[in-house]
Amino acid sequence: MTPEPGRLDRLLDAVASAVMALAGAMMVVLILIFSWLVYGRYVLNATPTWVEQVSLLLVVWIAFLGAAVGIRRQSHLAVDFIRDALPAPLRMACVVFTIVTLGLFGAIMAWQGYVMWERTVQREIPLLGISEGWRAIPVSLSGVLTAVFCLDELRRLLTGRKGV
Amino acid sequence: MELILLFGVFFLCLTAGVPVAYCLGIAAVTGFLYEGLPLFIAFQRIVSGISVFSLLAIPFFIFAGELMLQGGIAARLVKLAAGAVGWMRGGLGVVNVASSMLFGGISGSAVADTSALGSILMPVMKEKGYDGDYAVNVTVTSSIAGVVIPPSHNMILYAVAAGGVPISQLFIAGVVPGILMCLCLGFVAWLVAVKRGYPAEPFPGLSSLAVSFIVALPGLMTAVIIVGGVLSGVMTVTESGAFGAIWAILVTALVYRELTWERFKAAVLVSVRTTAMVMILVACASAFAYLLTLNRVPDLLAGAVLSISDSEYVILLLLNCTLLVLGMIMDMAALILITTPIFLPIVIDLGMSPVQFGIIMMMNLGLGLTTPPVGACLFVGCVVGNERMENVVRTIWPFYLAILFALTLVTYVPFISLGLGSYLTP
Amino acid sequence: QDWRGWNIHPEGYPNSVALDQFVETVNAETDLNLQVFHGGVLGSQPDAIEQVRNNALEFGQFNMGPMGPIIPTTNVLSLPFIFSSVDHMHKAMDGDVGEIFAEAMEAEGLVPLAWYDSGSRSFYNSKRPIVTPADVEGLKLRVMNNDLFVDMVAQLGGNATPMAFGEVYQSLKTGVIDGAENNYPSYESTGHFEVAGFYSITDHLIIPECLCVSTESWNALDDDTKAKVMAAARASAVTQRELWAAREQESLDKVRAAGAQVNEVENKVAFQERMAPVYESFLAANPDLGVVIEAIQAVN
Ligand code: NA
Ligand code: NA
Repeated sequence: MTPEPGRLDRLLDAVASAVMALAGAMMVVLILIFSWLVYGRYVLNATPTWVEQVSLLLVVWIAFLGAAVGIRRQSHLAVDFIRDALPAPLRMACVVFTIVTLGLFGAIMAWQGYVMWERTVQREIPLLGISEGWRAIPVSLSGVLTAVFCLDELRRLLTGRKGV
Repeated sequence: MELILLFGVFFLCLTAGVPVAYCLGIAAVTGFLYEGLPLFIAFQRIVSGISVFSLLAIPFFIFAGELMLQGGIAARLVKLAAGAVGWMRGGLGVVNVASSMLFGGISGSAVADTSALGSILMPVMKEKGYDGDYAVNVTVTSSIAGVVIPPSHNMILYAVAAGGVPISQLFIAGVVPGILMCLCLGFVAWLVAVKRGYPAEPFPGLSSLAVSFIVALPGLMTAVIIVGGVLSGVMTVTESGAFGAIWAILVTALVYRELTWERFKAAVLVSVRTTAMVMILVACASAFAYLLTLNRVPDLLAGAVLSISDSEYVILLLLNCTLLVLGMIMDMAALILITTPIFLPIVIDLGMSPVQFGIIMMMNLGLGLTTPPVGACLFVGCVVGNERMENVVRTIWPFYLAILFALTLVTYVPFISLGLGSYLTP
Repeated sequence: QDWRGWNIHPEGYPNSVALDQFVETVNAETDLNLQVFHGGVLGSQPDAIEQVRNNALEFGQFNMGPMGPIIPTTNVLSLPFIFSSVDHMHKAMDGDVGEIFAEAMEAEGLVPLAWYDSGSRSFYNSKRPIVTPADVEGLKLRVMNNDLFVDMVAQLGGNATPMAFGEVYQSLKTGVIDGAENNYPSYESTGHFEVAGFYSITDHLIIPECLCVSTESWNALDDDTKAKVMAAARASAVTQRELWAAREQESLDKVRAAGAQVNEVENKVAFQERMAPVYESFLAANPDLGVVIEAIQAVN
């Protein structure tokens, strides 16, 4: 039934995998630096003061990157039993509504992430010495990815490459 | 007016099938626009919602749980439970419950429990002549132990949503109710098994049991590290989570030698996916909660509920029923984040400890994970067990009753959740 | 016109009572309709500062510490031993020095109406009384998230450990950290005195708090309303300072009665002298703020 994936499908799947790999690497770093924190405080009696702030930053990156990939792979928690009980045309309307709303939200995320970045880029994260703007970047990034993934989903739906 | 808009948008999106997290985010953005507030503040709330130190423990618990599954810890826990209680009539049902109790003490998640233990135990049960519906019933309901017995990342969500209930106290408070619930479930599992005439397993002998214990010990140590690290105070909850994860890597890679590079990668990626799902939910929920707070919704609702009745019993029953109904149609994490700020002022007004209410909420929403129409554990259990949901649901009610019985005891007898804590803290 | 305000302190705290008084007075005397959200329910302090600056909320009561990363001039107030006493701080902030900070804040979207008190901060720990800087050596001390405070503890030979405030009690109890630093009311109300029984009066930080209105909302007011709001704010500050002093005494009595050992530090100069590198690196990074430091030191 499903047609062969086209070049665009493969490209976007590759983007999703790359983003996931980046988030996975951040997860591993998170575990390593936390162990370093405990080691530093107990064994060296010199607490690495940057760990807490770096970790909070990493979690934001992991969450937003992972969430965007979740849109592509449709792994987010959703209530779909109501939609699935509807007759086909209504079901189709729900699916289109979902994709369009999510895509719009992604676009707003991308834009407002940029606004946040503009307002915080001059400021330093205490104890870290890097710009507060790093916290806003994943918001925009996730927004762009969400919007792109939704656009593609809409394309696949409308070209009949995917049923509901 | 604004509240109608807020909840209207939320439910509209929810019904159409928009992921729950994004329903909250979209409703929040609508609310910010309606109030004329700067939109980037909505995203400030979203980012700040997850820039919370205690939430850092969540990815660690999730990762540790995933490693147990990939690296063979879960299988060894099952073997230990089989040796210890498998000789009873319907032994494998009781083994299933006991495994969940052990596994619950390591993993923070009920879904992980269902998929890990279900995939190991259900094939064995069917082979020994147990019916598929029974296997799924036991697996799914006992997995609630994962959220009630510490560690539990849903407890962390509750602690954060409740505005600083100590996580360590919640952890201690979950131990006895979790065990109580498993005892009730074990009893029902045995009862149903006797009625259906399921077999018993031979007792492997004490020495064999001792061997399975020793083999399972390094895996069980993960629980000792996570929970013990917190209770003894060597580490904060978050640090103990990281250490638990490191320990699980060491045990599965070096002791059990089942953790290959491929499995490690798989565990990392699955934990990223789960972490992101939970975190984006927390993030968007905090923007939504901001608007509720601005409109004083928690205060208003608390006032309304308290005006219905001044009987503590009635109000608690009311809250429990509300949670149960909501839990049937919505996801646990989202409900914790949305309902805690609303319900907590009410129970505090009744003089109930926020710690006890946290445990009530865990059991209640945990039950919701196992019910139709929306129950993550039920879904996973049916998929893993290859059973139709209708068949499973038709015979699951005795297990629900067991959990409701335990829930009622925990609701009306504070000592069950708070007693252990009062002994441990001088 | 509806105004919504942010406050981190719980209901009944001196600052919250003073704020309630401010809200009542303004509501009675002007066309404005104020309401305040206690207990930090609308976000952390840095987030709330951002919300008021951008007029998402109209007013807030902020500690000047977390203001530093957003408005660099105000970081001067987070320098250890910048004020010699709470009186010194009052004199400076109520006079021309306060105007320097007010101007810097107004340019960034905040109009400070009045300066509140948060007392003076000292070290407390579970190991020993601190009398000389040598006593700090090796202690794991929790500090707020600010490079200045990390540097301050480092200069005394301690192990500065930034940590979320909510984690401190448990961490003190179990020895994850040895101590922290704060004022009496906080030391008492958090229960930290139960688990870290030595409070040593170093008075190393005296950071004022401010009652701020967003510049946008402020500029929209007519002169008459401005005067009434300002007067209400000043009056609330008088109330706050009185309540604060009473609360400090109450907390001190309470922790003493509970068996905490509170000791004076006779030779504070020894601590101050250790701070020279902190000031040097601060001035190297902010050469234009030297005049502000001098202006504060000139007040007596
Ligand atoms: Na658990
Ligand atoms: Na189970």
